[in-house]
Amino acid sequence: MKRHAAELITRDPERFFHHDRVFLNNPVVMQGMGLAPLVVLATSGQNALMLAVAVALLLTPSRMLACLLSRLFPLREEHPANAELEKKLLPRSILYSGSAAVVYLAAYPILNQLFGVSLLVLGIYLPMLVVEPLLTYRFGRVQETMKKAVSKGIRITIGYGLLLLLLGCVREWLSAGTVFGHVLSRPVLPMASMPAGGFIVLGVLCAVWRTLARKYKNYLTSEARGLMAVYRQKEGEPEDE
Amino acid sequence: MNDVMQAVGVFFSYAVLAVFAQNAVFTRGLGVSRLVQLVGDERTSSGWFALLLCVTQVLVASLAFYAGGFIAAQSNPAQLRPLVYLACVAVVSLFEFIVLWAARGKRHGGQLLRILPLAAVNSGVLGTVLVERTQSFTLEQSMGFGLGSGLGYLLAVMLVTEADRRLRSEAIPEAFRGLPITLIYIGVLALAIYGFTGHSVIL
Repeated sequence: MKRHAAELITRDPERFFHHDRVFLNNPVVMQGMGLAPLVVLATSGQNALMLAVAVALLLTPSRMLACLLSRLFPLREEHPANAELEKKLLPRSILYSGSAAVVYLAAYPILNQLFGVSLLVLGIYLPMLVVEPLLTYRFGRVQETMKKAVSKGIRITIGYGLLLLLLGCVREWLSAGTVFGHVLSRPVLPMASMPAGGFIVLGVLCAVWRTLARKYKNYLTSEARGLMAVYRQKEGEPEDE
Repeated sequence: MNDVMQAVGVFFSYAVLAVFAQNAVFTRGLGVSRLVQLVGDERTSSGWFALLLCVTQVLVASLAFYAGGFIAAQSNPAQLRPLVYLACVAVVSLFEFIVLWAARGKRHGGQLLRILPLAAVNSGVLGTVLVERTQSFTLEQSMGFGLGSGLGYLLAVMLVTEADRRLRSEAIPEAFRGLPITLIYIGVLALAIYGFTGHSVIL
């Protein structure tokens, strides 16, 4: 671990962990975003891959476009007054989802080129991505900069894509005994391919993920404290604790 | 007279279908991310949210019925679907905004203005419109399905809110408390509905 990271963790661990959208603060596991495509469609590795590519094509570009357009109705404070929210929330929400719908116009032909008729399997859940909170949740938050929009967009895409693929493969294995079509075992839980099974498998996966994330956070915090103590000893500074 | 009664019958039968057998949350997971946030959010009233959702869905259903005809005539309908249907949602929600803005001085007026964007721009509304158009529903079928979908969403919110207190019990392992147990609970409820109606998702 680098000294800069250790310093940040010792100063404000939650803030440091908040930036990790892949594992420690995964948008699905920690905030429950983007659940509909996960529980209904991520029933196989192939479906999950198509969805992940669709999210990759949509999320960051639409967030950048929305970041630009939403400057027309900026929310300047973290906790804006009710009067400001009443005026600006609706135009901002339309701008965010509208941006995603405009980007969808360009993304759809690419997806069509990549996956052909297989894309039909995604049904209504592909166009529905344009209103997923995963893409539009920023409409109710403080105005972000373009740099942040790009960086957060990419990190959220990676975090969501990772969970999609994991859930798709687990559900395919449970329901059909295969992963990306390769036979591994006999079907263990055929119900896993239904939305009800999706909710249950995702719930269990979230519990396991959260436990691992908590353990990793504890490990990082104690590592960072130990490292900072060593640095202070080397530099002859008194220890905090 | 017979035609009117038949249309009313179709409207209500599709509304009932959307509340139970084709419940937006339990059979299609529509708006489930918003539902999970809504259950723990004491600032947003589930009742007002559901009311705005129902009104929006009924109005959008009729607008989208005509917009569907426009999309079908284009050379790239699949590409245009989200933009056109979102435009319908935007028109309806702007109309609702104007009405609520005029009434903002009254009790709950401000709260409704803050809830409107959450209720109007979500996957529950767009998803329902897409289901209606994909299955080529008639106007009365679409409006009935829109109303039922909103009521079905309210039913789901009420069931999850009711269970929320019990789901915080210390008898539940710590790792499962919060989102994981809520998802498992929704899954079990969905299974119960399949028990009555059978299951197949029409995408």
